[in-house]
Amino acid sequence: MIDLEAALRLLAGAGVEFIVVGGVAARAHGSTHLTNDLDLLYSRTPENIRRIASALAPYSPYLRGAPPGLPFRWDAETIARGLNFTLTTSFGDLDLLGEITGGGSYERLLPESALIDAFGVRVRCLALEPLIRVKRAAGRPKDFEVIAELEALKDERDNPKDSPAPQS
Amino acid sequence: MSEAGFPHALPDATRGVDGPLPVDPVIEAYKKDVDRTLLRENLRRSVEERLRDLMRLQRFAEEWREAAKKTFG
Repeated sequence: MIDLEAALRLLAGAGVEFIVVGGVAARAHGSTHLTNDLDLLYSRTPENIRRIASALAPYSPYLRGAPPGLPFRWDAETIARGLNFTLTTSFGDLDLLGEITGGGSYERLLPESALIDAFGVRVRCLALEPLIRVKRAAGRPKDFEVIAELEALKDERDNPKDSPAPQS
Repeated sequence: MSEAGFPHALPDATRGVDGPLPVDPVIEAYKKDVDRTLLRENLRRSVEERLRDLMRLQRFAEEWREAAKKTFG
């Protein structure tokens, strides 16, 4: 579970360069699938790494699934030496990705992202077509349903049907 | 209003860059079971509404897990 409002406000407010990818990006595009973590593709520039380290430090980042008590130190050096981090934080589960399968780095996917406004901040989100490509490239059977839904969303967006809005 | 007719469809920065997505027969089979009514409803919502809905669903799932744990151990 992740408090998206807190996470996005924190990171955008700290000037961190990132692109929302994964299940939350799918949800932003209209997917109905449930996801419990926030996947972010982040820029690996030294300045951005410093910003991430500093912004997240007060929120107890720790390696998700690792036994408690490991000598894990959250700082810019640790981030620079690693690449992808699956973290627990006090606002929820956060995956910080330096690269993603089928998509590459932040800089590679930056032109394939769109700006979205949510919770009073403006953040970058991977656009629908590259999101489908990335999910396809990952090749995980568990993603088949999500990919099918994303492709259906693309169909609906590109060829909207004249159906009345559902009554709530 | 977006060109596609949904007010809150995100612009797709990559449309046409790498050409159309190739058809995958496995995905096509899964697409038959997608409930498009829900998708159309979501496309009419703002991005923030979609994300707030996700957080509500996460809370519900968490409460459900906790309740199940208390009941069934």
